Amino acid sequence: MLFGILFALTAGALVGMQNVFNTKVNEQTGNWTTTTLVLGLGFAASFGIGLIVEGKGMFTSLPGMQTWFWFSGLIGVGVVTCMVQGVKLLGPTYAVAIVMTSELGFALLFDSLGWLGLQKVPFTLHQLIGVLVIVGGIFVFKLGGGRESEKENSVRKREALN
Amino acid sequence: MRGLLFAFLAGAFITLQGVANTRISADIGTWPAAAVTQFTGFVAALLIWVFVRDGGLRDLRQVRPLYISGGALAAIIIFTNVTAIQQVGVTLTISAVLIAQLCMTFLIDSLGWFGVPKQKMRLPQFIGIGLMIAGVVILKF
Repeated sequence: MLFGILFALTAGALVGMQNVFNTKVNEQTGNWTTTTLVLGLGFAASFGIGLIVEGKGMFTSLPGMQTWFWFSGLIGVGVVTCMVQGVKLLGPTYAVAIVMTSELGFALLFDSLGWLGLQKVPFTLHQLIGVLVIVGGIFVFKLGGGRESEKENSVRKREALN
Repeated sequence: MRGLLFAFLAGAFITLQGVANTRISADIGTWPAAAVTQFTGFVAALLIWVFVRDGGLRDLRQVRPLYISGGALAAIIIFTNVTAIQQVGVTLTISAVLIAQLCMTFLIDSLGWFGVPKQKMRLPQFIGIGLMIAGVVILKF
């Protein structure tokens, strides 16, 4: 279990860092130019590392794979579209707090339904309380105030991605 | 109201993305899964870009290469995220991801790294992260 959590923490730290970098790109250009660049480089890096790690294995499984696998990547486009609209309408602070809450709510749902081949984790009161406390933490962090220079544009823009 | 709906959907998509990546990885392996999904995302974004043309290579030349290379981090993000979901499930993974993500933001803001305007972190941010960690402990023990 420890390793799983360490992997998740690594992912999160990198997401935080990537958001900063993406915002820097976004300051100079539009949302879709940024998104295209980010996904293009993400593909190139995954493909490159995959070739080194798995060699021909990168291609052998492709022909037989289920059709929806090809379209799964469109979810990322949905993320960007909804995120941009949410931030525009709610402001970055509230939008991000709600996005994170929603992420956790759906995580609980997916775990308890055991969807898409996930190992089913039975829903318990314990879990609900845990998630509610985490959500409380997110709102205190985001809405608690105290962070200075909130009004600066670059900060607002970046908050949008965090 | 519409803003709420968009934010709600964005969260749903982010979690769904992690779960779908995990499912695809189970069949074809994690690196091919990361490559295939991002390839499709890239092509779709490129098509949208062709219509909106909200920028181009000329803009990107003004960005430091370090910041441009941020996109490549996604490869490792997807790999670690999928591996975490396989081992500890979706809820715990997302919880830990969010904690680390906010801690990283917190660190970068307080130190003013990467040319980010320095922000002082105060009590609410510490309490917030403390509560999130407490939540994970409740979740698991």
